[in-house]
Amino acid sequence: MAWLNAVVQGILLGGLYALFACGLSLLFGVMRVVNLAHGDFAVLAAYLGLAVITGLHVPLLWSTLAVAPLFAVVGYLVQRLIIQRSLEVSPLTTLLVTFGLSVVLQNAMLEGFSANSHSLPSGWLAAGSFRLTPQLSIGHFSLIVFAAAVVVIVSLQLFLSRARLGRQIRATADDAEAASIAGTDVRHVFGIAAAIAFATVALAGLAFGGYSSFDPGAGTQRLIFAFEAVVIGGVGSLWGTLLGGVVLGVSQALGAQVDSGFGVLAGHLVFLAVLAIRPRGLLPGRVT
Amino acid sequence: MTPAAPLLELDRVSKRFGRVVVAESLSLAVQAGDAVGMVGPNGAGKSSLFSVISGDLSPNTGEVLLDGRAVTRLDASARCRLGIGRTYQVPRSFGHMTVFENVLVAAHRGAGLAAGAARELTVAVLDETGLRPDANRPALRLGLLQRKRLELARALATRPRLLMLDEVAAGLTDPEVRQLVGVIQAVRERGVAVIWVEHVVRALVGVVDRLICLAGGRFISDGTPEEVLASPAVREVFLGTDSGGLPRAGFAEHGEQGGRPPSDGDSSS
Repeated sequence: MAWLNAVVQGILLGGLYALFACGLSLLFGVMRVVNLAHGDFAVLAAYLGLAVITGLHVPLLWSTLAVAPLFAVVGYLVQRLIIQRSLEVSPLTTLLVTFGLSVVLQNAMLEGFSANSHSLPSGWLAAGSFRLTPQLSIGHFSLIVFAAAVVVIVSLQLFLSRARLGRQIRATADDAEAASIAGTDVRHVFGIAAAIAFATVALAGLAFGGYSSFDPGAGTQRLIFAFEAVVIGGVGSLWGTLLGGVVLGVSQALGAQVDSGFGVLAGHLVFLAVLAIRPRGLLPGRVT
Repeated sequence: MTPAAPLLELDRVSKRFGRVVVAESLSLAVQAGDAVGMVGPNGAGKSSLFSVISGDLSPNTGEVLLDGRAVTRLDASARCRLGIGRTYQVPRSFGHMTVFENVLVAAHRGAGLAAGAARELTVAVLDETGLRPDANRPALRLGLLQRKRLELARALATRPRLLMLDEVAAGLTDPEVRQLVGVIQAVRERGVAVIWVEHVVRALVGVVDRLICLAGGRFISDGTPEEVLASPAVREVFLGTDSGGLPRAGFAEHGEQGGRPPSDGDSSS
């Protein structure tokens, strides 16, 4: 029963990882940019959430309504003003620039919020759970996060396949120059993709803050987990990202069941195994 | 038939890649409704010139004008919306999208149409280019002929006033070329100006009334197809670089002798 519990908790944790990973996957899928500041932006979102929650006395869920749209705007601006310029120089430059952003963000947060760790007051959500059997219970909060991840990925998939703007994003992902001669304003489309990615990062950061404590340096590990989820699932495939997050979460939970220190390492080992055996991921694809 | 400014004007456009000059102070005027063919050996700068006009490449010096207005600093999507459409020599379809979606994107953004109108235009263009049976296939499953047609369809769906065709006939069989010529002829009759780069000169002559030969980044001849193909400078360029791939004067009467240089299919710039 303890094992079953580990699997269930792992799946739910996987939702959080998938939420982290889908923004990374989208940015890479559309503009071939690996945003090394991804995790730091998530932590920044958690700090902003903390400010909103304590400042306005609203619950965690409500804070998403303020932080996610704000992050969408931030994403659009970061793309247009910073990443786009480096993209036009070379793909390598985007790595350097986002790495630089990561360093700047971490230090700015250290300045602004100190090195102390914080966590988001999630109120009744943190405590509540459905107790299915004496050993198996599902926390309200982790269930909400998992549901949010599924809803985000399903809507993103629908948006990309059905919406006019979504189709432009896919066309641009396939061939930006050809999309441009077909009338698509590629820079704007990249900006929109970044806005969506950043809104999902904000959700992931808030969920993370509700799950566990965070400090200005917490982003790096988040980035690694997000990377692993994307690679396990298959680069550019959103369903793959969800699956990758779940596989990573379950591996970590099962590893932790073996030995409490083994969880994160088990996740890394599964990641390495997938890289070795199926380097293109479990569900390889493109943003389709 | 047109107001003072030509549809497209190049004003002393130069483009270099390091030491390689692909356009050397080129000036050109194309009026609305004109049909211009462009020939030249591989590497003459034909595709690069298209890219300078479409906005994929910026010229080092000179201006590109549309309706008398400089568009040199506009990006390709803005130029597309102003009426410049092009195809690529090597088809660049959106591989992971269906044929229908490929064309629909162009109809939405390129032609600036709302959802319903964009769908209607897409269906019309697919019918015109013979792609309707393939509408729901992903573009990466298409064969060469269909991908060439899709290039043309996507360009047409942007509702261009100037359509630039980059070797759309290369690699096609004669019946396929004839069918394509029919489509382009019909587009031309709607008043769309065409600039058509093609090695398959026999495909050109049915459509164009002006031929330009580009070599080494310069226009070495410009006139009616008969004049240009008879010009000693043009004959020398073709003999000099392609050893015998010379488009013959009078090919129209004699049919299938038209010049396809031996290095056909290879990138022209």
